[in-house]
Amino acid sequence: MKKRNSTFNRVFTFLVFLFLYAPILLLIVFSFNAGESSTVWQGFSFHWYRELFQDRLIMRSVYTTLLVSLLATIIATFAGTFAAIGFYSLRRRQRHLLTTVNNIPMMNADIVTGVAMCLFFVAFFSGWSSFATWVNGIQSVFELPTRLTLGFGTLLIAHISFNIPYVILSVSPKLRQMDKNLVDAAMDLGCTWFQAFWKVILPEIKPGIVSGALTAFTMSVDDFIISYFTAGSSSSTLAMTIYGMTKKRVTPEINAISTLLFITVLALLVITNIREARMEQLEQRRRDLPTATAAEAAKYSSPSSSRLPAMLGAGAAAALVICAIWVAGRNAGKPVVNVCSWGEYIDETLITQFEEETGIMVNYQTAESNEALYSLLKSGAGDYDVVVPSDYMISQLIEEDMLEELNYDNIPNFALVSDRFKNLPYDPDNRYTVPYAWGTIGIIYNADMVDEPITSWDAMFSTENAGNVLMFRNSRDAMATALLKLGYSLNTTDEAELREAKELLAQAKRDGVYQSFVMDEVYQKMEGGNAAISAYYAGDYLSMLDNTDEPLEFVVPEEGSNWFVDAMCVLKDAPHKEEAEAWINFIASTEANLANMDYIWYASPNEEALEQYPAYYEELYEEELDPEIYEIMAASQETLDRCQMYLVLPYETRSLYNKLWTELGI
Amino acid sequence: MKRNLSRLTIPYVVWMALFVVAPIIMVVIYAFTSAEGGFTFANFASMGTYAVVFTRSFKLALIATIVCLLIGYPVSYMMSKEGPGFQRIAMVLIMLPMWINFLLRTYSWMSILENNGLLNQLFQKIGLIALYNGIFGTNLEFFPMLNTQGAVVLGMVYNYLPFMILPIYSVIVKLDGSLLEAARDLGANNFNVFRRVILPLSLPGVLSGITMVFVPSVSTFAISKMLGGGTELLLGDLIEQQFLGGAYNPQLGAAISLVMMVIVVVCMVVMNRFGEGEEQAVML
Repeated sequence: MKKRNSTFNRVFTFLVFLFLYAPILLLIVFSFNAGESSTVWQGFSFHWYRELFQDRLIMRSVYTTLLVSLLATIIATFAGTFAAIGFYSLRRRQRHLLTTVNNIPMMNADIVTGVAMCLFFVAFFSGWSSFATWVNGIQSVFELPTRLTLGFGTLLIAHISFNIPYVILSVSPKLRQMDKNLVDAAMDLGCTWFQAFWKVILPEIKPGIVSGALTAFTMSVDDFIISYFTAGSSSSTLAMTIYGMTKKRVTPEINAISTLLFITVLALLVITNIREARMEQLEQRRRDLPTATAAEAAKYSSPSSSRLPAMLGAGAAAALVICAIWVAGRNAGKPVVNVCSWGEYIDETLITQFEEETGIMVNYQTAESNEALYSLLKSGAGDYDVVVPSDYMISQLIEEDMLEELNYDNIPNFALVSDRFKNLPYDPDNRYTVPYAWGTIGIIYNADMVDEPITSWDAMFSTENAGNVLMFRNSRDAMATALLKLGYSLNTTDEAELREAKELLAQAKRDGVYQSFVMDEVYQKMEGGNAAISAYYAGDYLSMLDNTDEPLEFVVPEEGSNWFVDAMCVLKDAPHKEEAEAWINFIASTEANLANMDYIWYASPNEEALEQYPAYYEELYEEELDPEIYEIMAASQETLDRCQMYLVLPYETRSLYNKLWTELGI
Repeated sequence: MKRNLSRLTIPYVVWMALFVVAPIIMVVIYAFTSAEGGFTFANFASMGTYAVVFTRSFKLALIATIVCLLIGYPVSYMMSKEGPGFQRIAMVLIMLPMWINFLLRTYSWMSILENNGLLNQLFQKIGLIALYNGIFGTNLEFFPMLNTQGAVVLGMVYNYLPFMILPIYSVIVKLDGSLLEAARDLGANNFNVFRRVILPLSLPGVLSGITMVFVPSVSTFAISKMLGGGTELLLGDLIEQQFLGGAYNPQLGAAISLVMMVIVVVCMVVMNRFGEGEEQAVML
């Protein structure tokens, strides 16, 4: 009855698959790139795979991802299957209501679900805290923990909640297709309900359960935003790690781990499918020729072989759970410190070194921007010990009483910080912060794509290079470029001046000056010669240079610019304050600063490290450090004098910034 | 027996009430709260400003959904006509891309569509750009593809196409072959068999496919940032800005989310009426 597809149809299907797989192939190819670029091919190498296995941050997040997805899938599959059976026996109206509720997680934007859950958990925790205090007060038999935090538990709950609906959706239709009399017949014949379920219902709905579980697992692995809001400070999934990198740069290690995951899953699924297909063929043959091949078929379809994939899966699951218990057991009772910084903003060997020296475990997480960090802290999703915000955000945190004063007796290395970076406006008496790195903003341009060297912020607004200019995708930096060009202060609170600056940006946007608003996409665009001009951070310009043949130049324009400091601070009431100070002291050492400077290309505030870096570089790479590069990384005092720092803006001005920025985007 | 079974839903109902319904109620409360904590409608007052964003998002999501349907339906239909081995592999291949983070896949698209990207290099090699310049008298060095609304739609189609194919396929593959034979026996030609039998019977799959593509398309935020150049906001971007990005204002974010949710739900209810009371979405 069935007609086979024509060649045309097959070509169409093939093209659709090509469409689905072209970007993935590209991604796999670039995981073997020798350089760091994801657009410029620099030769074949396994470099990123080797790096990958030494990268704790990524390996840990892979492990968290797999564990949470696996547990969530198992639990959701059980819960969802039973719920679906329950649904099936409800009256129509009740079922209708429940189906609607079931659809909520799917009808809802992920970000809303994530935020909603975060708000809910935080509200629940504060309620719990007062309840526990009350209970502990009236009796002394047992003690309830008063402080609950987001963590693996809440992450798991969130994943289960958005997975259950997928399971129900795929099991329900199978139940409806099932002959309703089968169960009754089984029970009439003396089955208990459980036997009826096991022997009659389950085989009927098994395909639905399997595909539901598969969907749930895939959704869990792919999810970013819900995890982001529910994972807290101690666990992060792979997707979160990737997202955290987007302020600076997503490393090709991520391509490598994705390739590995992808190929593993592909292999597993192909094996399973081939086995199933063979099984079916044998089944078919046995039916056709009842006697001849029965023995042969029996041999192949003996339980041990037909359950191989399932056993493999179960084995992997068990191994993972044992691993989890082992890791948890090994680290239980050890002191920890929860750190949140930017992606690709630390030489990770430092983390291992610190853990070995002090025995303190470091949970290292990353945020995407100062503003994202602020909202994590505000909503209660981030209960870190140490954060590394930029200057203006530090002032804001101090203003809102969110930082703890440091005990500088525990941080002797603070003495190594150059006087230039002490008592800066964001922390005038130096009570809260230890500087981490500093740098300048400037214009990066491709000398081949512009007519003459760029020296002024005008370049960011003139139509001369229309369609080839990249602008910051964050309000403070984008507005700064316009304020600088207009000759106003970066910290102006004058509404007219700010409106003028916004109008300048809006006009340039209308004129088609901007190719796009970027953060870390800037790498891909500048390295690949896709854009001519971009405003960005000096340190990131230097890491671009390593990965491209394009003649990229960097300039701090004549009108001046912004210079910034990122500093380590401890959050108010942080549970691990001493460990946090130990970490800060470790990072402030000269050795750590040298290693960091070499890795992230942002200048160190440590006087010794700044002086020693050219020698350190020469020793490490056996070539002299270009003084021009050193000047770009660690701008001279002369350059800094032309630059302004961001100061925290009053609440009204911040609201105005938000409003103007949103208007600009509309 | 039925009475007993319905008890199985109790844990589920409790769970959903706690972790799905209660959080949504939190969002509703937030939407009606001012920054200082009092009750207010102010968050909704500014909604008119964002009308452009609403229109743009719904337009792009609608186009993406239609494109997904136009590609997804034929693919599902053809898949269902292939042998069982091929079908199984195809199903797996459709799910598999989701194992690579969507951010990475979208990055990949960036390098394909860039001005200096793979596709433009290909067009240059095969002389397509020169040909175009010759015919239209233009002086292009490349086709500008990235940072357009077209690229955003492409990103949506790419990311959400599997959600269209899977439910449609799962319905078509289960169609009763004897119905089709009966239709043919009664004199229907191929077109009529499709129009009067296959299409109506596959409608539930189509409806849930539409929902599963449209909803994430309306609320996406990464795709428009990366492929659309970030110069024209979509609803997802607007919400993300309020919760995560440069314009922290969770109350406004909650209000926008609420309005979006209401519009989406209304759309879905209207559409499901269309499906003659087909009450349950079908997947896989």
